[in-house]
Amino acid sequence: MTATQPKPAASSAGETRVLTLIQAITEAMAEELARDERVVVFGEDVGARGGVFLATAGLQEQFGQKRVFDTPLSEASIVGAAVGMAVRGLRPIAEIQFADYMGPGFDQIISQAAKIRYRSGGQFTAPLVIRTPSGGGVKGGHHHSQSPESYFAHTPGLKVVMPSTPYDAKGLLKAAVRGGDPVIYFEPKRLYRAAKGEVPAGDYTVEIGQGAVRREGSDLTIIGYGGVMPDAEKAAQALAAEGVHAEVIDLRSLVPWDRDLVLTSVSKTGRAVLVSEAPRTSNFMGEVAYVIQEQLFDQLLAPVMQVAGFDTPYPYVQDKVYLPGANRIAAACVRVLNY
Amino acid sequence: MIQPFTSDPLRWVAEDGQPIRELPARFTPEVLRDLHREMVRAREFDKKLVTLLRQGRTTFYAQASGMEATQVGLARSIRVGHDWVWPYYRDHALGLAMGVPMLDLVSQCLGTNSDLCRGRQMPHHFGATRQNFVSISSSIASQVPPAAGNAMAQKYLGTDELTVCTFGDGATSEGDWHAGMNMAGAYGAPCLFVCENNQWAISTNLRAQTASESIHIKAKAYGMPGYYVDGNDIVAVMEVLSHVAQDVRSGKGPALVECLTYRVGSHSNADADAEKNYRTREEVNAWLARDPIVRVERLLEHLGAPVSAEERADLITATHREVDEAVLAAEATGQPDWRIVFEDVYADTPVHLREQAAFLREEQTALTDGAVRA
Repeated sequence: MTATQPKPAASSAGETRVLTLIQAITEAMAEELARDERVVVFGEDVGARGGVFLATAGLQEQFGQKRVFDTPLSEASIVGAAVGMAVRGLRPIAEIQFADYMGPGFDQIISQAAKIRYRSGGQFTAPLVIRTPSGGGVKGGHHHSQSPESYFAHTPGLKVVMPSTPYDAKGLLKAAVRGGDPVIYFEPKRLYRAAKGEVPAGDYTVEIGQGAVRREGSDLTIIGYGGVMPDAEKAAQALAAEGVHAEVIDLRSLVPWDRDLVLTSVSKTGRAVLVSEAPRTSNFMGEVAYVIQEQLFDQLLAPVMQVAGFDTPYPYVQDKVYLPGANRIAAACVRVLNY
Repeated sequence: MIQPFTSDPLRWVAEDGQPIRELPARFTPEVLRDLHREMVRAREFDKKLVTLLRQGRTTFYAQASGMEATQVGLARSIRVGHDWVWPYYRDHALGLAMGVPMLDLVSQCLGTNSDLCRGRQMPHHFGATRQNFVSISSSIASQVPPAAGNAMAQKYLGTDELTVCTFGDGATSEGDWHAGMNMAGAYGAPCLFVCENNQWAISTNLRAQTASESIHIKAKAYGMPGYYVDGNDIVAVMEVLSHVAQDVRSGKGPALVECLTYRVGSHSNADADAEKNYRTREEVNAWLARDPIVRVERLLEHLGAPVSAEERADLITATHREVDEAVLAAEATGQPDWRIVFEDVYADTPVHLREQAAFLREEQTALTDGAVRA
């Protein structure tokens, strides 16, 4: 395949539309496919079917089977092939149908994608994106609801992102496609259609590693990412009704994560509540808590509190009980405030 | 003599119901009627569960319409409760024909207190110890290496059991499939691998799945025989599977049987619009003409013992009643509460889970009391 360098990005005229999170993801892929012919999109059912959640709907029709194609049912093949394509100069966007099914591709992710730059002294690189729906809240039981981001955040060489808004979904995906590293791009599936927001019609990227302040406040900082963000904001609203001003931070990226933003906020508020839906033990937020206590020990007014999933497989029937909803987040905030 | 590695699927009964080979004596009209009844029961179960989905009483279902001969034929070719089965997620006809009670199956689909799997798994992922029917998992082909291990244990323990491992055509692309086949072959484990080749892995056709001309020939690479069967001909399925199961049981090592069939419905409720999206109405119609239930009816006609319209209607009514009663009985047991989140994670609940359970108990009590405001 001949590949040319990317065309210059179209400039944004400032026009925005309201899109859902999944529409923003589709649009990002469509624009990147149009911008750079090295970009290819593939995975199980991404072609005619358009992906199980329809994230790739219409892309094969628009860009043809050479650019957007179905693969055999094999995550090891999908990820491994993405590594080989990236080494050879393409920009693969591989879809793993559910994050729960990254297991068979795990060795390819941690042994090949994550290590090839390091083990070759930078001679070979694998800039690729693995997109995958993750998290619960959709009655999927444990094979369709897990949050495995910590496995990947624990592996040097990978970047790990998880948007919670349509704006970030598009901007982060474009940044991931254009970057020089393998990126695991988690999509909080319960927000696919629930999260709606303004998205620029034109080209833009969201830098990987930058968090965002969703709400300013002075009394405590709530830090989360992905599917828990709407509940974190709901909890902050409920606290505001009681006269408590919570600052809400969306990490957006786990590797690298925005330490400066978190530390600046927590040094201002003196209190932190960390929210994620992954099981608590070895949860990525444990790292955030560690850095907060290491850097801000003297300024903390209360212990850092974690609100996480339980250390159990994700249940089917008690789906909603497992997730840290607004009530649980608010209760943790109250404990931190009353410490 | 039943030969492996044939270029065409082995077949006993033509689509018009005429026997192509001599009909084995065991297929008396009574036996064929029993098989027909079991296939109709599975077919009607499909219809009822799709209705339950539409009513919002369950949230997921994977139809097996069109695949009944393969699954019922398999159930009738092994020793139920003696042999072990590692099924895949479309195997309810297999489960029903193996004697998994309707209430157990329906309870799992509804996630009620009567669910043996305790509301942990998504619907249509049942398991039953009485039938040695190991709990179904969603992750494709992940049951294949454990099935090989199950068979290795049977050989180690010197039993005359065998292990049956089922999967679809898509699963044969996964690394786990190759790993499990290789392990069973290398160890000579008594494992009967059954590919229910329904030709579609969600929207991916077999031709896009593999460049192999068939699935069964892959057996050669793992040092075991591969048989190719018309999976819509229940006589062929039973003749081949009984013969191969006997070989496997008697210490000849593992074998692969590919049953060529067709999933008439969608993959699941997630792609109810299969015909619009990825396959043609003509293709579906062509396979509808090869319907395994109709084939048995035509065979019975040929044998001069037809199933009357009234009999068929009675069968359908009886199954609908059976499912309805199971649904009511299951729903009457209620939904498992929050405690099921923490049970069965480990053999003994470790301290951190006891703490997390205590936290949730407190939260649930407080929520019930309306004491926590958000």
